[in-house]
Amino acid sequence: MAFGDYPKEYNPSVHGPYDPARYYGKPDTPFGQVKLNEIGSWLARRNKTPSAFMGACSRAWWSWQHKYMQPKRVGIAPFFQLLVGSMTFFYVINYGKMKHHRNYKYH
Amino acid sequence: MLSRVALRSVAARQSASTALVARGSASGARDEQNFPRPVRGEPGKVRLGFVPEEWFQFFHAKTGVTGPYTLGVGLATYLCSKEIFVMEHEYYSGLSLILMVYIAAKKLGPNIAAWLDKEVDNIETSWNEGRTNTIKGLEQAIKDEKTAQWRAEGQELLMEAKKENVLLQLEAAYRERLMQVYTEVKRRLDYQLEKTNVERRMAQKNMVDWIVLNVTKAITPDQEKQTLDRCIADLSALAAKH
Repeated sequence: MAFGDYPKEYNPSVHGPYDPARYYGKPDTPFGQVKLNEIGSWLARRNKTPSAFMGACSRAWWSWQHKYMQPKRVGIAPFFQLLVGSMTFFYVINYGKMKHHRNYKYH
Repeated sequence: MLSRVALRSVAARQSASTALVARGSASGARDEQNFPRPVRGEPGKVRLGFVPEEWFQFFHAKTGVTGPYTLGVGLATYLCSKEIFVMEHEYYSGLSLILMVYIAAKKLGPNIAAWLDKEVDNIETSWNEGRTNTIKGLEQAIKDEKTAQWRAEGQELLMEAKKENVLLQLEAAYRERLMQVYTEVKRRLDYQLEKTNVERRMAQKNMVDWIVLNVTKAITPDQEKQTLDRCIADLSALAAKH
């Protein structure tokens, strides 16, 4: 599997047009339905290669796009999500500098 | 010519490679049940402007309606009180910015949304315009074709009428000629009759003339005298009777 190829599991004659937001492999239990004591084995089953991680990011990106950005009449929600996301991101990367502004004496 | 051949070979190579990628391992029937064709849906629902509705639904079964809010507020309280979330000067400018964004979204949002929806509709209409125009044109063509067929049927009627008219004209000419033949024959017969009559009259007249001439030539003076005497005797006999 080189760059720009479809996933190995994708078969056009069975799956039809390619949906970039969809995982074409064998589906596991969704994360929201995993019990706490199963989380370890669930994480152990995950594919942790860089290409699989990139694929997961790409699917997340496209499902967000399809759900919030690409419909015909979108509201302002995706822009607020971008705003909140970027605020959080920059807060996290600047957290080391922000720490110096703490006012506490006793915690 | 050569350039066209070169282009064709390039096109063939491209299509072959893309077909290979798209086909993959081509086997099995299309599974419409589990892999339906993706459709463009409505935008996802959010609460508080950006939090997905699914987040609240996930909590709803376990914690009830207030669960996610409680989690959020509790987490915020914890982060603030332990000063993990540091409120430095940027935090307060952020608060004022959020206030301004909120007011702007509430004040200008509906108008901008209406305008954008109108633009979306305009773009969609413009993209569909060619197709709708083509459909309209084709429908018009079908209507025109039907009118033309109707007119052609009218032409057939007209041709029938013309044929009938020609037949009537032929009939009239035929009758006219019959009449002509009749009058000609009658004229000739009348001529023959008149001729015969004239000949007979002339012959009779000549015969009468000839007979009268011969009779008057045959009467002698003696006979004339005898007749006169006989007449006078008859007259005197008649006079004696009355």
